[in-house]
Amino acid sequence: MTKRQDKRIKIIGWLLFFLAIGFFFLQMGYLFIHQRFQVEYIDNRIFYIINIICVLCLSLGILFLLTLTKKWKLAVASIVILFIIMNSVLLVIGNSKIKNVTSISPDFKHVLAIKQNTKTGEAVYYRNYYGILALPKETLPYKTDGEFKVEWLANDVAVVTYKATDKTIHQFIGTYGDRGGGLSYYYVGAEIQGAWQGENIELISSPDGISVTQNGRTETFDWDQIVQFGTLAIVLTENNQAKWTISLNEDFTIDSSSATPPSGGISVYRATMDENKPFVLIYEGAN
Amino acid sequence: MKKIILITASVVMVGLIISIIIYLQYPQSSSLPTNREEQQDISPEAEKLQPIYDDDHTVGYSLQNKELNITFDKGKTWQYVPVEIDNLFAGEYNGNKQELIKNSYILSENRVAFLYMEKTNEYENKVVLTYSHDQGKTWKDAIVTDRYPMIRFRKVAFLTEEFGYVIISGDRVVAQEASNVYITYDGGENWKETNQSGVTRLISDGGFIDEQTGFLSYGTINPDEPELYVTQDGGNTWTQAFTNVPENYHEIFVTAEMPVKEEAHLVLLVNQGPNGDYKGGKVKGKFISKDNGKTWEFSKEIEVDDQEAG
Repeated sequence: MTKRQDKRIKIIGWLLFFLAIGFFFLQMGYLFIHQRFQVEYIDNRIFYIINIICVLCLSLGILFLLTLTKKWKLAVASIVILFIIMNSVLLVIGNSKIKNVTSISPDFKHVLAIKQNTKTGEAVYYRNYYGILALPKETLPYKTDGEFKVEWLANDVAVVTYKATDKTIHQFIGTYGDRGGGLSYYYVGAEIQGAWQGENIELISSPDGISVTQNGRTETFDWDQIVQFGTLAIVLTENNQAKWTISLNEDFTIDSSSATPPSGGISVYRATMDENKPFVLIYEGAN
Repeated sequence: MKKIILITASVVMVGLIISIIIYLQYPQSSSLPTNREEQQDISPEAEKLQPIYDDDHTVGYSLQNKELNITFDKGKTWQYVPVEIDNLFAGEYNGNKQELIKNSYILSENRVAFLYMEKTNEYENKVVLTYSHDQGKTWKDAIVTDRYPMIRFRKVAFLTEEFGYVIISGDRVVAQEASNVYITYDGGENWKETNQSGVTRLISDGGFIDEQTGFLSYGTINPDEPELYVTQDGGNTWTQAFTNVPENYHEIFVTAEMPVKEEAHLVLLVNQGPNGDYKGGKVKGKFISKDNGKTWEFSKEIEVDDQEAG
Protein backbone atom coordinates (compact mmCIF):
# COMPACT_ATOMS: atom_id res chain seq x y z
CA MET A 1 0.00 0.00 0.00
CA THR A 2 1.40 3.39 -0.96
CA LYS A 3 1.73 6.19 1.55
CA ARG A 4 -0.96 8.14 -0.31
CA GLN A 5 -3.40 5.24 -0.20
CA ASP A 6 -2.63 4.76 3.44
CA LYS A 7 -3.41 8.42 4.15
CA ARG A 8 -6.67 8.18 2.24
CA ILE A 9 -7.74 5.13 4.24
CA LYS A 10 -6.90 6.91 7.46
CA ILE A 11 -9.04 9.90 6.43
CA ILE A 12 -11.95 7.61 5.60
CA GLY A 13 -11.37 5.83 8.89
CA TRP A 14 -11.56 9.09 10.86
CA LEU A 15 -14.64 10.17 8.91
CA LEU A 16 -16.42 6.92 9.72
CA PHE A 17 -15.31 7.12 13.33
CA PHE A 18 -16.65 10.66 13.78
CA LEU A 19 -19.80 9.76 11.89
CA ALA A 20 -20.35 6.95 14.41
CA ILE A 21 -19.88 9.40 17.27
CA GLY A 22 -22.34 11.75 15.55
CA PHE A 23 -24.95 8.99 15.33
CA PHE A 24 -24.29 8.12 18.95
CA PHE A 25 -25.02 11.68 20.07
CA LEU A 26 -28.07 11.76 17.80
CA GLN A 27 -29.47 8.75 19.67
CA MET A 28 -28.64 10.25 23.05
CA GLY A 29 -30.26 13.53 22.01
CA TYR A 30 -33.29 11.62 20.79
CA LEU A 31 -33.71 9.80 24.09
CA PHE A 32 -33.54 13.15 25.86
CA ILE A 33 -36.12 14.94 23.72
CA HIS A 34 -38.33 11.89 23.63
CA GLN A 35 -38.38 11.84 27.42
CA ARG A 36 -38.85 15.58 27.67
CA PHE A 37 -41.20 16.45 24.81
CA GLN A 38 -42.65 13.08 23.75
CA VAL A 39 -41.16 13.61 20.30
CA GLU A 40 -40.75 10.35 18.46
CA TYR A 41 -38.91 9.18 15.39
CA ILE A 42 -41.33 9.33 12.51
CA ASP A 43 -40.91 5.59 12.20
CA ASN A 44 -40.03 3.62 15.34
CA ARG A 45 -37.69 1.43 13.30
CA ILE A 46 -35.36 4.38 12.71
CA PHE A 47 -33.96 3.97 16.23
CA TYR A 48 -32.64 0.50 15.48
CA ILE A 49 -31.51 1.39 11.97
CA ILE A 50 -29.41 4.27 13.32
CA ASN A 51 -27.93 1.92 15.91
CA ILE A 52 -26.91 -0.50 13.17
CA ILE A 53 -25.42 2.26 10.98
CA CYS A 54 -23.59 3.69 13.99
CA VAL A 55 -21.97 0.35 14.84
CA LEU A 56 -21.07 -0.34 11.21
CA CYS A 57 -19.36 3.07 10.93
CA LEU A 58 -17.61 2.53 14.22
CA SER A 59 -16.28 -0.91 13.35
CA LEU A 60 -15.18 0.10 9.84
CA GLY A 61 -13.55 3.21 11.28
CA ILE A 62 -11.59 1.08 13.75
CA LEU A 63 -10.56 -1.35 11.03
CA PHE A 64 -9.28 1.54 8.87
CA LEU A 65 -7.55 3.38 11.69
CA LEU A 66 -5.97 0.58 13.67
CA THR A 67 -3.89 -2.39 12.71
CA LEU A 68 -5.58 -5.30 14.40
CA THR A 69 -4.52 -8.89 14.77
CA LYS A 70 -6.72 -11.58 13.28
CA LYS A 71 -8.01 -12.45 16.75
CA TRP A 72 -9.09 -8.85 17.38
CA LYS A 73 -10.67 -8.55 13.95
CA LEU A 74 -12.72 -11.65 14.67
CA ALA A 75 -13.78 -10.29 18.02
CA VAL A 76 -14.89 -6.95 16.52
CA ALA A 77 -16.75 -8.74 13.71
CA SER A 78 -18.53 -11.02 16.20
CA ILE A 79 -19.62 -8.10 18.38
CA VAL A 80 -20.86 -6.19 15.35
CA ILE A 81 -22.82 -9.16 13.96
CA LEU A 82 -24.33 -9.89 17.35
CA PHE A 83 -25.32 -6.25 17.75
CA ILE A 84 -26.88 -6.11 14.30
CA ILE A 85 -28.85 -9.31 14.92
CA MET A 86 -30.07 -7.99 18.26
CA ASN A 87 -31.24 -4.69 16.72
CA SER A 88 -32.88 -6.44 13.78
CA VAL A 89 -34.82 -8.75 16.09
CA LEU A 90 -35.94 -5.83 18.26
CA LEU A 91 -36.93 -3.91 15.11
CA VAL A 92 -39.14 -6.76 13.91
CA ILE A 93 -40.69 -7.36 17.34
CA GLY A 94 -41.29 -3.60 17.81
CA ASN A 95 -42.94 -3.30 14.44
CA SER A 96 -45.25 -6.21 15.19
CA LYS A 97 -46.51 -4.35 18.27
CA ILE A 98 -46.67 -0.87 16.74
CA LYS A 99 -47.13 -1.00 13.02
CA ASN A 100 -45.49 1.97 11.30
CA VAL A 101 -46.94 3.32 8.10
CA THR A 102 -44.63 5.87 6.56
CA SER A 103 -44.83 7.48 3.15
CA ILE A 104 -42.68 10.21 1.66
CA SER A 105 -44.17 12.78 -0.70
CA PRO A 106 -43.09 12.62 -4.37
CA ASP A 107 -41.00 15.79 -3.89
CA PHE A 108 -39.42 14.38 -0.70
CA LYS A 109 -40.58 17.38 1.34
CA HIS A 110 -43.25 15.81 3.54
CA VAL A 111 -43.67 12.54 5.36
CA LEU A 112 -46.97 10.97 6.24
CA ALA A 113 -46.72 8.79 9.31
CA ILE A 114 -49.26 6.61 11.05
CA LYS A 115 -48.51 4.33 13.96
CA GLN A 116 -50.96 1.61 14.76
CA ASN A 117 -51.13 -0.33 17.99
CA THR A 118 -51.71 -3.81 16.59
CA LYS A 119 -53.17 -5.08 19.88
CA THR A 120 -55.86 -2.43 20.25
CA GLY A 121 -56.26 -1.54 16.57
CA GLU A 122 -55.90 2.16 17.37
CA ALA A 123 -53.94 4.27 14.91
CA VAL A 124 -52.44 7.72 15.42
CA TYR A 125 -51.60 10.20 12.70
CA TYR A 126 -48.24 11.92 13.20
CA ARG A 127 -47.07 15.24 11.88
CA ASN A 128 -43.39 15.31 11.08
CA TYR A 129 -40.88 17.93 12.17
CA TYR A 130 -37.27 18.32 11.09
CA GLY A 131 -37.38 15.34 8.75
CA ILE A 132 -37.25 12.30 10.96
CA LEU A 133 -39.00 13.50 14.12
CA ALA A 134 -42.74 13.56 14.66
CA LEU A 135 -45.42 14.44 17.16
CA PRO A 136 -48.82 12.74 17.40
CA LYS A 137 -51.56 14.87 15.83
CA GLU A 138 -54.75 12.88 16.12
CA THR A 139 -56.12 9.42 16.62
CA LEU A 140 -57.96 7.95 13.67
CA PRO A 141 -61.54 7.52 14.88
CA TYR A 142 -61.94 3.90 13.85
CA LYS A 143 -59.98 0.95 15.08
CA THR A 144 -58.36 -0.55 12.06
CA ASP A 145 -57.43 -4.03 10.99
CA GLY A 146 -53.96 -2.82 10.11
CA GLU A 147 -54.38 -2.46 6.37
CA PHE A 148 -53.53 1.02 5.09
CA LYS A 149 -53.13 2.32 1.57
CA VAL A 150 -51.38 5.62 1.01
CA GLU A 151 -51.60 7.61 -2.21
CA TRP A 152 -50.13 11.07 -2.77
CA LEU A 153 -52.59 13.00 -4.95
CA ALA A 154 -50.21 15.96 -5.04
CA ASN A 155 -46.90 16.76 -3.38
CA ASP A 156 -48.85 18.07 -0.40
CA VAL A 157 -51.92 15.84 -0.28
CA ALA A 158 -51.71 12.26 1.00
CA VAL A 159 -54.81 10.08 1.15
CA VAL A 160 -54.83 7.20 3.58
CA THR A 161 -57.50 4.65 2.80
CA TYR A 162 -58.08 2.12 5.53
CA LYS A 163 -60.52 -0.51 6.62
CA ALA A 164 -62.05 -0.37 10.08
CA THR A 165 -62.52 -3.52 12.12
CA ASP A 166 -66.21 -3.46 11.13
CA LYS A 167 -65.07 -3.67 7.48
CA THR A 168 -66.18 -0.14 6.61
CA ILE A 169 -63.82 1.91 4.42
CA HIS A 170 -62.56 5.30 5.54
CA GLN A 171 -60.25 7.91 4.17
CA PHE A 172 -58.03 10.26 6.09
CA ILE A 173 -56.15 13.04 4.35
CA GLY A 174 -52.87 14.56 5.42
CA THR A 175 -52.54 18.03 3.91
CA TYR A 176 -49.29 19.95 3.96
CA GLY A 177 -49.95 23.03 1.86
CA ASP A 178 -52.39 25.54 0.48
CA ARG A 179 -53.46 26.93 -2.87
CA GLY A 180 -54.48 30.39 -1.72
CA GLY A 181 -51.25 31.80 -0.30
CA GLY A 182 -52.04 30.48 3.18
CA LEU A 183 -53.75 33.66 4.32
CA SER A 184 -57.38 32.74 4.27
CA TYR A 185 -59.59 29.75 4.65
CA TYR A 186 -61.66 28.69 1.69
CA TYR A 187 -64.04 25.87 0.91
CA VAL A 188 -62.77 23.37 -1.61
CA GLY A 189 -66.31 22.47 -2.69
CA ALA A 190 -67.09 26.10 -3.45
CA GLU A 191 -63.81 26.66 -5.27
CA ILE A 192 -64.51 23.81 -7.69
CA GLN A 193 -68.06 24.90 -8.59
CA GLY A 194 -68.81 23.79 -12.13
CA ALA A 195 -68.42 20.73 -14.31
CA TRP A 196 -65.18 18.77 -14.47
CA GLN A 197 -64.25 16.14 -16.99
CA GLY A 198 -61.72 13.33 -16.98
CA GLU A 199 -61.31 10.00 -18.68
CA ASN A 200 -64.66 8.16 -18.25
CA ILE A 201 -65.45 10.31 -15.26
CA GLU A 202 -67.36 13.52 -14.74
CA LEU A 203 -67.84 15.61 -11.63
CA ILE A 204 -70.30 18.40 -11.02
CA SER A 205 -70.08 20.69 -8.03
CA SER A 206 -73.23 22.74 -7.56
CA PRO A 207 -74.90 24.61 -4.70
CA ASP A 208 -76.82 21.38 -3.91
CA GLY A 209 -73.77 19.18 -3.57
CA ILE A 210 -71.36 17.17 -5.65
CA SER A 211 -72.14 14.40 -8.09
CA VAL A 212 -69.61 11.99 -9.55
CA THR A 213 -70.43 10.04 -12.69
CA GLN A 214 -68.17 7.17 -13.64
CA ASN A 215 -68.95 4.79 -16.50
CA GLY A 216 -72.53 6.07 -16.63
CA ARG A 217 -73.18 5.56 -12.90
CA THR A 218 -73.85 8.70 -10.90
CA GLU A 219 -73.38 9.12 -7.17
CA THR A 220 -74.67 12.31 -5.57
CA PHE A 221 -73.54 13.74 -2.27
CA ASP A 222 -75.16 16.56 -0.28
CA TRP A 223 -72.94 19.11 1.40
CA ASP A 224 -73.77 17.35 4.69
CA GLN A 225 -71.93 14.29 3.39
CA ILE A 226 -68.84 16.23 2.38
CA VAL A 227 -65.98 16.79 4.77
CA GLN A 228 -63.03 19.06 4.20
CA PHE A 229 -59.43 18.37 5.24
CA GLY A 230 -57.15 21.40 5.50
CA THR A 231 -57.76 23.60 2.48
CA LEU A 232 -56.76 21.07 -0.13
CA ALA A 233 -59.16 18.16 -0.15
CA ILE A 234 -62.62 16.90 0.61
CA VAL A 235 -63.99 13.45 1.25
CA LEU A 236 -67.43 12.48 -0.04
CA THR A 237 -69.10 10.09 2.38
CA GLU A 238 -72.15 7.88 2.38
CA ASN A 239 -73.52 5.88 5.31
CA ASN A 240 -70.51 6.88 7.36
CA GLN A 241 -68.10 5.44 4.83
CA ALA A 242 -65.77 7.30 2.51
CA LYS A 243 -66.61 7.06 -1.19
CA TRP A 244 -64.37 9.54 -2.98
CA THR A 245 -61.62 12.01 -2.22
CA ILE A 246 -61.32 15.18 -4.29
CA SER A 247 -58.16 17.24 -4.07
CA LEU A 248 -56.83 20.38 -5.69
CA ASN A 249 -53.85 19.74 -7.93
CA GLU A 250 -50.68 21.79 -7.64
CA ASP A 251 -51.59 23.88 -10.68
CA PHE A 252 -54.94 24.86 -9.16
CA THR A 253 -55.09 28.52 -8.17
CA ILE A 254 -57.62 30.04 -5.81
CA ASP A 255 -59.21 33.19 -7.08
CA SER A 256 -62.13 33.79 -4.74
CA SER A 257 -62.34 37.47 -5.51
CA SER A 258 -63.45 37.15 -9.11
CA ALA A 259 -65.87 35.16 -11.17
CA THR A 260 -63.21 33.79 -13.47
CA PRO A 261 -63.33 30.02 -14.01
CA PRO A 262 -60.92 27.96 -11.95
CA SER A 263 -57.53 27.33 -13.44
CA GLY A 264 -55.73 24.05 -12.96
CA GLY A 265 -56.98 20.54 -12.39
CA ILE A 266 -58.40 18.43 -9.61
CA SER A 267 -57.82 14.81 -8.67
CA VAL A 268 -60.58 12.37 -7.83
CA TYR A 269 -59.72 9.18 -6.01
CA ARG A 270 -62.11 6.37 -5.14
CA ALA A 271 -62.13 4.93 -1.64
CA THR A 272 -61.28 1.28 -2.08
CA MET A 273 -58.68 -1.07 -0.68
CA ASP A 274 -58.07 -2.41 -4.20
CA GLU A 275 -55.23 -1.02 -6.24
CA ASN A 276 -56.49 2.10 -8.01
CA LYS A 277 -55.19 5.33 -9.47
CA PRO A 278 -56.57 8.85 -9.09
CA PHE A 279 -58.32 10.51 -12.04
CA VAL A 280 -57.22 13.95 -13.12
CA LEU A 281 -60.13 16.18 -14.15
CA ILE A 282 -60.09 19.49 -15.96
CA TYR A 283 -62.64 22.28 -15.86
CA GLU A 284 -65.37 22.00 -18.48
CA GLY A 285 -67.44 25.02 -17.63
CA ALA A 286 -70.22 26.16 -15.37
CA ASN A 287 -72.79 23.42 -14.90
CA MET B 1 -4.14 7.21 20.07
CA LYS B 2 -5.10 3.54 19.74
CA LYS B 3 -6.14 3.54 23.37
CA ILE B 4 -8.36 6.63 22.92
CA ILE B 5 -10.07 5.15 19.86
CA LEU B 6 -10.75 1.87 21.62
CA ILE B 7 -12.01 3.54 24.78
CA THR B 8 -14.30 5.83 22.74
CA ALA B 9 -15.57 2.86 20.76
CA SER B 10 -16.28 0.94 23.96
CA VAL B 11 -18.13 3.93 25.43
CA VAL B 12 -20.23 4.22 22.25
CA MET B 13 -21.04 0.49 22.30
CA VAL B 14 -21.97 0.46 25.99
CA GLY B 15 -23.93 3.70 25.52
CA LEU B 16 -25.89 2.23 22.62
CA ILE B 17 -26.73 -0.91 24.58
CA ILE B 18 -27.90 1.18 27.54
CA SER B 19 -29.92 3.38 25.16
CA ILE B 20 -31.66 0.28 23.79
CA ILE B 21 -32.54 -0.81 27.32
CA ILE B 22 -33.91 2.70 28.06
CA TYR B 23 -35.77 2.77 24.74
CA LEU B 24 -37.43 -0.55 25.49
CA GLN B 25 -38.66 0.80 28.83
CA TYR B 26 -40.57 3.58 27.11
CA PRO B 27 -44.16 2.86 26.33
CA GLN B 28 -44.03 2.46 22.55
CA SER B 29 -45.86 5.35 20.96
CA SER B 30 -46.67 6.83 24.33
CA SER B 31 -49.37 9.01 22.87
CA LEU B 32 -51.50 6.18 21.63
CA PRO B 33 -54.49 6.53 23.90
CA THR B 34 -54.91 3.59 26.20
CA ASN B 35 -58.16 1.72 26.41
CA ARG B 36 -60.52 2.23 29.24
CA GLU B 37 -60.25 -1.50 29.96
CA GLU B 38 -56.53 -1.17 30.37
CA GLN B 39 -56.88 1.89 32.52
CA GLN B 40 -59.11 0.04 34.93
CA ASP B 41 -56.18 -2.16 35.82
CA ILE B 42 -54.75 0.81 37.64
CA SER B 43 -56.78 1.17 40.78
CA PRO B 44 -57.51 4.72 41.93
CA GLU B 45 -55.39 3.96 44.96
CA ALA B 46 -52.35 3.58 42.69
CA GLU B 47 -51.67 7.20 43.46
CA LYS B 48 -53.39 8.91 46.34
CA LEU B 49 -55.80 11.42 44.85
CA GLN B 50 -55.39 15.03 45.83
CA PRO B 51 -58.50 17.14 45.32
CA ILE B 52 -58.24 20.35 43.33
CA TYR B 53 -60.62 23.11 44.41
CA ASP B 54 -61.65 26.24 42.59
CA ASP B 55 -62.12 29.44 44.55
CA ASP B 56 -65.87 29.23 44.48
CA HIS B 57 -66.30 25.48 44.52
CA THR B 58 -66.75 23.18 47.45
CA VAL B 59 -66.54 20.03 45.35
CA GLY B 60 -63.05 18.85 44.48
CA TYR B 61 -61.80 16.92 41.51
CA SER B 62 -58.72 15.01 40.46
CA LEU B 63 -57.25 14.19 37.06
CA GLN B 64 -54.69 11.80 38.50
CA ASN B 65 -54.28 8.23 37.18
CA LYS B 66 -55.58 9.38 33.79
CA GLU B 67 -59.18 9.60 34.98
CA LEU B 68 -61.55 12.17 36.34
CA ASN B 69 -62.74 11.66 39.90
CA ILE B 70 -64.70 14.01 42.12
CA THR B 71 -65.06 14.25 45.86
CA PHE B 72 -67.73 15.85 48.04
CA ASP B 73 -66.00 15.12 51.34
CA LYS B 74 -62.54 16.59 50.95
CA GLY B 75 -60.98 13.48 49.44
CA LYS B 76 -62.27 10.77 51.79
CA THR B 77 -64.38 9.16 49.09
CA TRP B 78 -64.23 9.61 45.34
CA GLN B 79 -66.71 9.22 42.52
CA TYR B 80 -65.45 8.21 39.10
CA VAL B 81 -66.71 10.42 36.26
CA PRO B 82 -67.33 8.45 33.04
CA VAL B 83 -65.58 10.90 30.75
CA GLU B 84 -62.32 10.36 28.85
CA ILE B 85 -59.69 12.82 30.02
CA ASP B 86 -58.55 13.48 26.45
CA ASN B 87 -62.06 14.57 25.48
CA LEU B 88 -62.11 17.19 28.23
CA PHE B 89 -59.16 18.90 26.57
CA ALA B 90 -60.09 18.04 22.98
CA GLY B 91 -60.20 20.73 20.32
CA GLU B 92 -58.13 23.83 20.22
CA TYR B 93 -56.68 24.04 23.71
CA ASN B 94 -53.05 24.66 24.50
CA GLY B 95 -53.24 25.30 28.21
CA ASN B 96 -52.21 23.13 31.09
CA LYS B 97 -53.93 19.77 31.41
CA GLN B 98 -53.37 19.36 35.12
CA GLU B 99 -56.55 21.31 35.80
CA LEU B 100 -59.87 21.40 33.99
CA ILE B 101 -60.49 24.18 31.48
CA LYS B 102 -62.07 27.16 33.22
CA ASN B 103 -65.86 27.39 32.75
CA SER B 104 -66.02 23.97 31.06
CA TYR B 105 -67.52 22.36 34.15
CA ILE B 106 -69.87 22.88 37.05
CA LEU B 107 -69.12 21.50 40.48
CA SER B 108 -71.74 22.07 43.13
CA GLU B 109 -73.50 19.95 45.71
CA ASN B 110 -76.64 19.69 43.55
CA ARG B 111 -75.13 19.53 40.10
CA VAL B 112 -71.87 18.37 38.58
CA ALA B 113 -71.45 18.72 34.85
CA PHE B 114 -68.60 18.48 32.36
CA LEU B 115 -68.68 19.92 28.86
CA TYR B 116 -66.45 18.30 26.26
CA MET B 117 -65.99 17.35 22.64
CA GLU B 118 -66.05 13.80 21.36
CA LYS B 119 -65.41 12.49 17.88
CA THR B 120 -68.53 10.91 16.39
CA ASN B 121 -66.81 9.55 13.36
CA GLU B 122 -63.87 10.31 11.19
CA TYR B 123 -65.26 13.63 10.12
CA GLU B 124 -67.43 15.00 12.88
CA ASN B 125 -67.47 15.83 16.53
CA LYS B 126 -70.25 16.16 19.00
CA VAL B 127 -70.36 18.39 22.03
CA VAL B 128 -71.55 16.56 25.10
CA LEU B 129 -72.49 17.55 28.64
CA THR B 130 -72.07 14.71 31.10
CA TYR B 131 -73.88 15.55 34.31
CA SER B 132 -75.14 14.16 37.57
CA HIS B 133 -77.72 15.52 40.01
CA ASP B 134 -77.03 12.97 42.74
CA GLN B 135 -73.39 13.62 43.52
CA GLY B 136 -72.04 11.22 40.95
CA LYS B 137 -74.15 8.14 41.72
CA THR B 138 -75.80 8.24 38.31
CA TRP B 139 -74.66 10.04 35.18
CA LYS B 140 -76.39 11.24 32.07
CA ASP B 141 -74.96 12.38 28.75
CA ALA B 142 -76.74 15.22 26.99
CA ILE B 143 -75.80 15.99 23.41
CA VAL B 144 -75.54 19.75 23.10
CA THR B 145 -74.91 19.45 19.38
CA ASP B 146 -74.12 16.37 17.33
CA ARG B 147 -72.21 18.16 14.57
CA TYR B 148 -69.49 20.58 15.42
CA PRO B 149 -66.07 21.47 14.05
CA MET B 150 -62.93 21.67 16.20
CA ILE B 151 -64.03 23.41 19.40
CA ARG B 152 -62.07 26.35 20.88
CA PHE B 153 -63.97 28.45 23.42
CA ARG B 154 -66.29 26.52 25.77
CA LYS B 155 -68.45 27.59 28.65
CA VAL B 156 -71.32 26.02 30.54
CA ALA B 157 -73.37 27.57 33.35
CA PHE B 158 -76.76 27.25 34.98
CA LEU B 159 -78.71 30.17 36.39
CA THR B 160 -81.51 28.12 37.91
CA GLU B 161 -82.27 24.44 38.44
CA GLU B 162 -83.77 24.35 34.97
CA PHE B 163 -82.21 27.12 32.89
CA GLY B 164 -78.65 26.86 31.66
CA TYR B 165 -76.52 27.79 28.70
CA VAL B 166 -73.54 26.53 26.73
CA ILE B 167 -71.41 28.85 24.61
CA ILE B 168 -68.91 27.28 22.23
CA SER B 169 -66.85 28.41 19.30
CA GLY B 170 -64.96 26.49 16.66
CA ASP B 171 -63.64 26.18 13.13
CA ARG B 172 -61.17 28.95 13.82
CA VAL B 173 -59.07 30.20 10.93
CA VAL B 174 -56.61 32.86 12.09
CA ALA B 175 -58.89 35.48 13.68
CA GLN B 176 -62.27 34.24 12.44
CA GLU B 177 -64.48 31.51 13.83
CA ALA B 178 -68.07 30.46 14.38
CA SER B 179 -69.62 30.87 17.82
CA ASN B 180 -72.85 29.28 18.99
CA VAL B 181 -75.11 29.55 22.00
CA TYR B 182 -77.27 26.70 23.27
CA ILE B 183 -79.82 26.91 26.04
CA THR B 184 -81.72 24.40 28.10
CA TYR B 185 -84.96 24.83 30.02
CA ASP B 186 -85.04 21.34 31.54
CA GLY B 187 -81.92 21.16 33.64
CA GLY B 188 -79.58 20.12 30.84
CA GLU B 189 -81.38 17.19 29.24
CA ASN B 190 -82.34 18.96 26.01
CA TRP B 191 -80.43 21.75 24.32
CA LYS B 192 -81.58 24.16 21.66
CA GLU B 193 -79.39 26.48 19.67
CA THR B 194 -80.33 30.16 19.77
CA ASN B 195 -80.03 32.36 16.73
CA GLN B 196 -76.50 33.39 15.95
CA SER B 197 -75.06 36.86 16.39
CA GLY B 198 -73.43 36.67 12.96
CA VAL B 199 -70.08 37.87 14.31
CA THR B 200 -67.03 35.88 13.21
CA ARG B 201 -64.40 37.52 15.40
CA LEU B 202 -62.98 35.32 18.14
CA ILE B 203 -65.24 35.16 21.16
CA SER B 204 -63.68 36.07 24.48
CA ASP B 205 -66.59 35.45 26.85
CA GLY B 206 -70.35 35.18 27.03
CA GLY B 207 -73.20 34.42 29.34
CA PHE B 208 -76.73 35.09 30.47
CA ILE B 209 -77.80 37.05 33.50
CA ASP B 210 -81.39 35.88 33.32
CA GLU B 211 -83.43 33.72 30.95
CA GLN B 212 -83.90 36.58 28.51
CA THR B 213 -80.76 38.65 28.78
CA GLY B 214 -77.47 37.36 27.49
CA PHE B 215 -74.18 38.75 26.24
CA LEU B 216 -71.40 37.74 23.87
CA SER B 217 -68.08 39.55 23.99
CA TYR B 218 -65.74 39.37 21.01
CA GLY B 219 -62.11 40.16 20.34
CA THR B 220 -59.16 38.28 21.79
CA ILE B 221 -56.41 39.12 19.29
CA ASN B 222 -55.37 42.78 19.42
CA PRO B 223 -58.84 44.22 20.01
CA ASP B 224 -59.11 48.00 19.83
CA GLU B 225 -62.58 48.43 21.23
CA PRO B 226 -65.07 46.32 23.14
CA GLU B 227 -67.50 44.45 20.94
CA LEU B 228 -70.38 43.30 23.09
CA TYR B 229 -73.56 41.78 21.72
CA VAL B 230 -76.71 41.56 23.75
CA THR B 231 -79.95 39.63 23.52
CA GLN B 232 -83.04 40.54 25.47
CA ASP B 233 -85.26 37.79 24.13
CA GLY B 234 -83.45 34.60 25.09
CA GLY B 235 -81.19 34.53 22.05
CA ASN B 236 -83.68 35.17 19.27
CA THR B 237 -82.01 38.40 18.27
CA TRP B 238 -78.57 39.71 19.02
CA THR B 239 -77.66 43.36 18.65
CA GLN B 240 -74.43 45.14 19.28
CA ALA B 241 -74.41 47.02 22.55
CA PHE B 242 -73.11 50.58 22.48
CA THR B 243 -70.23 51.00 24.86
CA ASN B 244 -69.48 54.66 25.28
CA VAL B 245 -65.74 54.57 25.91
CA PRO B 246 -64.48 58.08 26.73
CA GLU B 247 -61.95 59.48 24.24
CA ASN B 248 -59.05 59.22 26.68
CA TYR B 249 -59.70 55.48 27.16
CA HIS B 250 -59.89 54.62 23.46
CA GLU B 251 -57.76 51.59 22.65
CA ILE B 252 -57.13 51.14 26.37
CA PHE B 253 -60.30 49.47 27.60
CA VAL B 254 -60.89 47.01 24.80
CA THR B 255 -62.33 43.68 25.94
CA ALA B 256 -65.71 43.47 27.63
CA GLU B 257 -66.15 40.98 30.45
CA MET B 258 -69.47 39.48 31.49
CA PRO B 259 -71.90 42.02 32.87
CA VAL B 260 -73.37 41.50 36.33
CA LYS B 261 -76.49 42.82 38.02
CA GLU B 262 -75.90 45.43 40.67
CA GLU B 263 -78.91 47.03 42.34
CA ALA B 264 -81.18 48.44 39.63
CA HIS B 265 -78.63 48.45 36.83
CA LEU B 266 -76.02 46.30 35.14
CA VAL B 267 -72.29 46.66 35.59
CA LEU B 268 -69.73 45.81 32.94
CA LEU B 269 -65.99 45.68 33.42
CA VAL B 270 -63.91 46.29 30.31
CA ASN B 271 -60.32 45.11 30.58
CA GLN B 272 -57.22 46.04 28.63
CA GLY B 273 -56.98 42.89 26.52
CA PRO B 274 -53.90 40.68 26.34
CA ASN B 275 -51.44 43.49 25.64
CA GLY B 276 -52.77 46.32 27.84
CA ASP B 277 -50.21 48.25 29.85
CA TYR B 278 -52.17 51.30 30.98
CA LYS B 279 -51.25 51.77 34.66
CA GLY B 280 -49.39 48.50 34.45
CA GLY B 281 -52.47 46.78 33.07
CA LYS B 282 -53.92 46.81 36.58
CA VAL B 283 -57.06 48.85 36.02
CA LYS B 284 -60.30 48.09 34.24
CA GLY B 285 -63.05 50.40 33.12
CA LYS B 286 -66.36 50.16 34.94
CA PHE B 287 -69.42 50.82 32.78
CA ILE B 288 -73.04 51.00 33.80
CA SER B 289 -76.16 50.21 31.81
CA LYS B 290 -79.63 51.32 32.81
CA ASP B 291 -81.39 49.80 29.79
CA ASN B 292 -80.57 46.16 30.49
CA GLY B 293 -77.35 46.07 28.50
CA LYS B 294 -78.03 47.99 25.30
CA THR B 295 -75.96 51.05 26.11
CA TRP B 296 -73.12 51.41 28.52
CA GLU B 297 -71.80 54.61 30.09
CA PHE B 298 -68.38 54.89 31.65
CA SER B 299 -68.44 55.15 35.43
CA LYS B 300 -64.87 54.94 36.72
CA GLU B 301 -61.57 53.13 36.66
CA ILE B 302 -61.28 50.31 39.11
CA GLU B 303 -58.14 48.62 40.28
CA VAL B 304 -57.74 44.88 40.10
CA ASP B 305 -55.09 42.68 41.58
CA ASP B 306 -52.30 41.26 39.43
CA GLN B 307 -53.91 37.91 38.83
CA GLU B 308 -57.09 39.36 37.48
CA ALA B 309 -55.48 42.05 35.38
CA GLY B 310 -55.63 42.10 31.74
